[in-house]
Amino acid sequence: MSKPGSIPWLMAHELRLFWRRGKMRPKSGLILIGLILGGWLLLSFFLFQKIGPLIPPPPFLNEPGDGLALAAIGVMIGFIASVMTSGAILAAVDAIYTRNDLDLLLSSPVSPWRVLVVRSSAIAVGALPLYAGMLGPPLIWMAIFSSPLWLSAIVVLATLAFAATGLALLIVTGLFRLIGPRSTRVLAQIISAVAGAAVFLSFQLFNLNSRGSGGMSQDQMTTMIAGLNIDPHVWWLFPARAFTGDIVSTVLWLLGVAMLFPLGVFVFSRSFVADAAAASAMGKRKRGMDARVAQVHGGVMQSVVRKELRLLARDPLLLSQIGLQLIYFIPLAFILIRPDRGIMLTEAAFAPALTLLAGTLAGSLTWITVSAEDAPDLLASAPVHAKMVDRAKFASAVAPVLILMAIPVAILLVRDAWAGVWTAGGVIASAISAALIGLWRRAPGTRREFVRRRAKGTLMAGLGQALVAMGITATAGLGAYGLPWLAILPAIIAAAMLGALYKQPTPQAS
Amino acid sequence: MSTALKVTDLAKSYGGKRAVDGISFDVRAGELYALLGPNGAGKTTTLRMVAGLLAADAGGISVFDVDARKDPLAAKQLIAWLPDEPLLYDKLTAWEYLEFVAGLWGVPPVSARAEAERLLKLLGLWDNRNDRCETFSRGMKQKAVLAGALIHEPKLLMLDEPLTGLDAAASRLVKDLIRERVAQGAGVILTTHILEVAERMADRIGIIKDGKLLIEGSLEELRTQAGQQGQSLEDVFLSLTATQPVAAAEPAL
Repeated sequence: MSKPGSIPWLMAHELRLFWRRGKMRPKSGLILIGLILGGWLLLSFFLFQKIGPLIPPPPFLNEPGDGLALAAIGVMIGFIASVMTSGAILAAVDAIYTRNDLDLLLSSPVSPWRVLVVRSSAIAVGALPLYAGMLGPPLIWMAIFSSPLWLSAIVVLATLAFAATGLALLIVTGLFRLIGPRSTRVLAQIISAVAGAAVFLSFQLFNLNSRGSGGMSQDQMTTMIAGLNIDPHVWWLFPARAFTGDIVSTVLWLLGVAMLFPLGVFVFSRSFVADAAAASAMGKRKRGMDARVAQVHGGVMQSVVRKELRLLARDPLLLSQIGLQLIYFIPLAFILIRPDRGIMLTEAAFAPALTLLAGTLAGSLTWITVSAEDAPDLLASAPVHAKMVDRAKFASAVAPVLILMAIPVAILLVRDAWAGVWTAGGVIASAISAALIGLWRRAPGTRREFVRRRAKGTLMAGLGQALVAMGITATAGLGAYGLPWLAILPAIIAAAMLGALYKQPTPQAS
Repeated sequence: MSTALKVTDLAKSYGGKRAVDGISFDVRAGELYALLGPNGAGKTTTLRMVAGLLAADAGGISVFDVDARKDPLAAKQLIAWLPDEPLLYDKLTAWEYLEFVAGLWGVPPVSARAEAERLLKLLGLWDNRNDRCETFSRGMKQKAVLAGALIHEPKLLMLDEPLTGLDAAASRLVKDLIRERVAQGAGVILTTHILEVAERMADRIGIIKDGKLLIEGSLEELRTQAGQQGQSLEDVFLSLTATQPVAAAEPAL
């Protein structure tokens, strides 16, 4: 038993809280995680028993084309780092703005530095299980069947979480200094979303640029990548070299992390108390007096729709997430508007893309309008049928998506009526089905809980929603490509899955 | 005097535990009824059943002769429910919040506008009408919720710990508004742990414990029934509800 107030004691407290954040009972959670890990360990054993001996031992600096392989590993590390940094930024912002038990801990005679070191370490450790679970088993078998030097990859992965957390703490503290508490929260959420997709967006940008400069076919792209002569000793590949067991690079990497993480924690903790106080006072800032007396509009349905649309429009996190989803589709929109660029895309390709986007957006909006209700008692005590409230919330979630999709669908209809009709059908079906699943599988909570709860619907609902979305997307895609008979099968699967997900909604009003 | 609320043999259990165990009482129009009891006695559960937020296992609820269990929407039209925790939409302004509540209760826009203006001025929130509720202090939020509860001119007002977290001025304002509603003929039922409030304001008081109504009547009637003549409501309350007789027997400070 560790001494109360010590770092191990505080760490045990953090781990307990982290574990209990999940929905499952600790015992069933352990069993499920154990089963998944065991299954993956076994599967990867059989896989790497076969392919492991074919993988060259790292560092493969004497092999031709190794610079390219290192660059690929570098991209993978960059992707994982960007996702980890994204999560750490949100966690650091959460620590400043919501604080939870930090007020209690910081008002105790335990050193604030110790508390924040543990809290920051918990952020880093929290980012690890997913990647450790995914990459750990293959790396272990690669170390056994190929070369023990692959174990260094595990060291890099584990320390990568600490580097990402250190960076995130520096970003959040810097933003606080530069733009103040109110804007920091919004901007940090946007940065977090963009950081999580940084690698993907970089590729999209590269893709777009290469198209803009005269067009590049897939063959040309492949030839260009194959012809890249990347120097394996170039400085920016040192994380990849550390990953592949190069001793000097590993030492450099560990030194870098050993500096970055404590620096982040030091900078963050120095200003934490002041920043937290500024954040808690933030809500009391008043604007100049607004002397308007607005009109009052009546109608039960209209009142709920108006309220939901106002709340959606005033949710910066939601807007940043929707903005990010739209950013992913910028290249596609670019092609739709400027079709004569020698790009091998037909109009039919837009059907699945827009269908998927409509479903994703409607799902996000429904989750907020239906599940994140701040005053459920008010609605439940009002003389209004629950079904009417649900209808209004459904309309508030679906209408903005359909309005947003109307422009690209209209362009498609003009350019290719057949593809346009299938796209329109796919968009409508996808938006409506996502909204219905959101209604049936709601998980009531307040809007403030949105950030944490967003990705925590039930596994069944999440999988079901994904299957329905894929089914409708495939239907729209096959139909638009001129294969309507083939489109029947995914349509039946999507309809059956939707039927299986039906659940009598838990009313918020009666 | 007509009956604003009539509760008959109301019962509710949670997993085998009787939270409300056959409670019966009534609140008259133009009367303030204080429902008192120790923590976990069943006060909030009772009020939530009347407000239609919880389904009763058994018993009857009648609001101005409307059977609330058979026709909940008609009953809700007459009721305002004010929970102890002010639940507001942070991103709506006070004005938009009132517009939304008025819309839910079907108040005509012209009357809603006039009533919203009157209530916001009365509660000292007029200058903040276009501020988002997230900028409000707890007292301001409580006042905004109260304005929402009153905007549709309810005939039965149910208040769960309405004075929690309010400063002296806000508390006085809320009490004045409650008295005003009572004078206008509405039935008001409130729960509170501040026994002085019940002692000064309530026409009748009901004390419940373990889901059962122990005693009911005016303060004088309670004293007589409890054999505590000349004692404060606190003494009467403690003598009836305290689980430790020694502590209950000690005089109030």
